[in-house]
Amino acid sequence: MKLKINLFKSETMVNYIKKIIIGGWKNFKRQGFLSFATALIIFIVVLLGTSLFVFEGGVKFFSEKIRDKMDVSVYFKESVDRETILDLKSQVEKLPEVKSIEYISPEDAYETFSKAHQNDTFSQSLQAIQINPFLASLKIQTTSPEKYKTVAEFFKKEEVAPYVRDINDHKRGEIIEKFSNIATNVENVGLILTIILSIIAIIITYNTVRLSIHSQRMEIEVMHLVGAKNSLVRGPFLVQGMLSGFFAAFIAFVISLVAVLLLRDKLLSVTDGFDIYALYMTNLSMVILLQLGLGIGLGLISSYIAIKRYLKE
Amino acid sequence: MIEFKQVSKDYISNIGKEVKPALREVSFSVKDGEFVTLCGRSGAGKTTILKMIACEEKPTNGSVIFYGQDTMDIKEKDAYCIRQQLGFIFQDFKLLPYKTVFENVAYALEVTGQDTKKARDEVMKVLDLVGLTKKANRFPKELSGGEQQRTSIARALIHRPRIILADEPTGNLDPYHSRDIMKVLMKINEAGSTIVLSTHNKEIVNTIKKRVITVDDGRIVRDEENGMFFI
Repeated sequence: MKLKINLFKSETMVNYIKKIIIGGWKNFKRQGFLSFATALIIFIVVLLGTSLFVFEGGVKFFSEKIRDKMDVSVYFKESVDRETILDLKSQVEKLPEVKSIEYISPEDAYETFSKAHQNDTFSQSLQAIQINPFLASLKIQTTSPEKYKTVAEFFKKEEVAPYVRDINDHKRGEIIEKFSNIATNVENVGLILTIILSIIAIIITYNTVRLSIHSQRMEIEVMHLVGAKNSLVRGPFLVQGMLSGFFAAFIAFVISLVAVLLLRDKLLSVTDGFDIYALYMTNLSMVILLQLGLGIGLGLISSYIAIKRYLKE
Repeated sequence: MIEFKQVSKDYISNIGKEVKPALREVSFSVKDGEFVTLCGRSGAGKTTILKMIACEEKPTNGSVIFYGQDTMDIKEKDAYCIRQQLGFIFQDFKLLPYKTVFENVAYALEVTGQDTKKARDEVMKVLDLVGLTKKANRFPKELSGGEQQRTSIARALIHRPRIILADEPTGNLDPYHSRDIMKVLMKINEAGSTIVLSTHNKEIVNTIKKRVITVDDGRIVRDEENGMFFI
């Protein structure tokens, strides 16, 4: 007589899955401390992941801000007329490195200076001499700070150089490069930090789940002896891991939202416009997906690997 | 029917990789409906015999035939097919601590693919048989040793197995509860189930007056009907 029995002879696949889910839910509820410990570790990981996401958003904001403030200004000799400068402007505009270009006439420059230095000695002296010492200039922003050199080179060409009085690519160029390097370094450090912390988080979560399952190895043995198939032993543990991940993600979502709300005003004033709440809310679906994916994924994968060694295959 | 044919089992110790024989050329068979007691000292090889029937251990030499199928041919992941035909009662009860008495018993039905809701009456009937109806919703830690062993018996019975393997079922119980458990096992046997009991309790062996196989140092030294405790 052959012994093979059809497991699903008297139950459907839906019932089988239902049985596994109910088993996992009951274990999750009844093993309160183990579930709490696992969920706590996953919660820390999810919160860390969320912080890194916001941190990266912040780094991007500041890098953009620094880069936006970097420009190349080209000052023209007094003798150069407006049309020539505008003609050069239209030529420069066609360069792929150029993001934006603005013509500033001597009158505009005078007005800007006067507004910025109202009622101070500079403004008074300027009024006293009765002349406008400002030169016409082009204010150019490049697509990336490294490209300002190419733009500066354009104005050093033989046919253009006679019109130009000065290009601020000497000391200012070094500053631009420094800022640019800082921004790139901060981005790289953020990325490396994310990778290292993620690896640490995965190892800690896996070990917590492993210890939790290890403490139940006798029960796994009993399940086998009673005649449970591997999938029926494994299933509830996977559901339990996923539930721990789900609750961890939910709590992390609530706490991170509260933290973002509390930090919003302070960060706005300190950072000159970095709206952490807006960043969070515009990426809300991404944040929820990240938290659920990280939480449930970590719980599921860690449980799957941890239970594997106790299953006889 | 179970048949052991010249079965030997060696364990290799972790320290020194020393070979330790647990069974040496053991041959015997158990017919349907029999009550067989395996007796012998601790470490004589009784539990190894039960583990081989449950497909938890494979012989080093020889073969164990379970209803016509050589257990050597069964892969580890398919061993549940054999175990679902067995009821196992352990000395240390081996109940699932996070399941209630009802759920522990129902679990043996669940693994065979039966719907727990439909089987509710059946579980309650078996719990009634072992006198635990009122404690169906208790967890194992809330039960006495005797009650835990009765739960374990109920779990072994619920799916109407062909054979019940009882490994020192009274080892952790006082004489009063031991007699109680033995009475239940005798009742189950009278109802037609095959029982293979492992024990070193002289009083029990001499009271039941059934077939006794005496194992000593991995060998069968005596096999007799209406046997008595020997050694």
